[in-house]
Amino acid sequence: MKNIIYYLVQLASIILLSPLVNGIIKKLKAFTQKRKGAPILQMYYDLYKLFRKNSVVSEVTSWIFKVTPYIFVSTSIIAGFLVPITTLVKPNSFPGDFIMLISILALGRFFMVLAGLDAGSTFGGMGSSREVMISVLIEPAIFVSFFTLGLYAKSTSIYNIMLEAKKIGIPLLHPMFIMIFLAMLIIIISETSRIPVDDPSTHLELTMVHEAMLLEYSGRHLALMELGAAIKQLIYITLIVNIFLPTDQLIGNFGIASIFISILIYAIKVIAVSTLIAIGEVSTVKLSLFSIPNLAALSFILSFLGFLQFFVLGR
Amino acid sequence: MENYLAALSLLILFSAFVLMANKRIKSYIATIRVQSIFIAIAVGIEGAKSLKTTGHFDILLVCVLIIAFKVIYIPRLLHRTYGKVEYRVAKDFFLNIPILILICCLLVVFSYFTLSTVEGINTGESNVQMVNSISIVLIGMFFMISRKKAIGQIVGFLVIENGLFVTALFSTKGMPLIIDIGIFIDLITAVMIMGIISFKINEKFDSIDTNKLKNLRG
Repeated sequence: MKNIIYYLVQLASIILLSPLVNGIIKKLKAFTQKRKGAPILQMYYDLYKLFRKNSVVSEVTSWIFKVTPYIFVSTSIIAGFLVPITTLVKPNSFPGDFIMLISILALGRFFMVLAGLDAGSTFGGMGSSREVMISVLIEPAIFVSFFTLGLYAKSTSIYNIMLEAKKIGIPLLHPMFIMIFLAMLIIIISETSRIPVDDPSTHLELTMVHEAMLLEYSGRHLALMELGAAIKQLIYITLIVNIFLPTDQLIGNFGIASIFISILIYAIKVIAVSTLIAIGEVSTVKLSLFSIPNLAALSFILSFLGFLQFFVLGR
Repeated sequence: MENYLAALSLLILFSAFVLMANKRIKSYIATIRVQSIFIAIAVGIEGAKSLKTTGHFDILLVCVLIIAFKVIYIPRLLHRTYGKVEYRVAKDFFLNIPILILICCLLVVFSYFTLSTVEGINTGESNVQMVNSISIVLIGMFFMISRKKAIGQIVGFLVIENGLFVTALFSTKGMPLIIDIGIFIDLITAVMIMGIISFKINEKFDSIDTNKLKNLRG
């Protein structure tokens, strides 16, 4: 029973909330440019429209091109199961840990890169090679920060890490957590292809990374790819929100109502973090591709300093 | 309270890393200003603590001096020097930035292992702060030797000074006021003289690249 509630809560909130985050970020960006902007729910309309359309598939592509959207969206949803959005619902057996999370997301990315190469267009290949470069550069930072959190919580499960963070109270004042938090902010920017690394709103071929891989997709396939990317973004935001800004200790545990309150507070925190991302996006410019290693090195250093603090403070 | 100071010492250390990752002289100056702001906050916390326990407000006075000199006056001086010299956008460093950052990372690890063998400071919080602040000194030295332009080297000198100040602050919980004033006057004189010298270098050699000092002039 507990398992069913857990999976239902995860599935519903992750699929329903994830397009909203994009809508909020786009709206805030439009406000800063003195435009009115598309409505917040625009991505839902887009997805609805795209899901009703057939997709056009180039005849030179292989089966990878057709399979990739389904693999990408399903890996994103499975990864969503590993990141609890509220710690009040505990399943009987917790599925997987953060190593599993990273590898599942890497599987989806692997197929997306292959599909970008598959159609044989120049931009797809270019986008794929750039995506691989960025993900390789940012991966050490992800692993070091997760392992530091895991060492602190003495468990690799994300649920246990969140429980441990709840006990600290305000983790952002803890020297180790503040370093990992800053590292995670850089990670989230590069993993969800936000502005200093990649421009999500552009279709200028020379600068795009993520969009270049989706260039050949249309209709239903495009909708699946975009939904998968939005879910992935929400997963990273959930990690930040629930590890570094825990609020579940403030709510008592009294059945269904407390779960609803917890999810509501979670949604508010997600909106706050997406505001932060939008502010970051309007206040910086896109880095040149060869400056991305500098950013990745900084995020690695942040997580590594947090790791060193663990050896002095954490034990 | 100790936790805030540990987090602040980490942020000061991280701003030294950000300085290492910067490419342009204007952003060096902005970063050194941010680092000085963090130091001012740390000194302010120490000062508030000492005011509460002993009733002395001299550390708060040091905080005001830091804001006046390090946050406002010295960056402005550097900006003025930078505005006067002719500047061409060119690569300012010998190695590429990720390698520089990784070397700095090794410096931090080095100071961790060195300080863990020192008797007396090896307990808890003060150890973290000592390690972080001594790493700032080492990173400042490395910054000085990794940049070619004279203003970059002035900034490296400022980072070393900040590191020494933070080390003194965290190990003694605030030095006597007269020593701090002496250090400040020293620092300002040094920065002024360096600014004038880099201006002269620019006049003689048409560049503030210190490598060109080796060129012979008739």
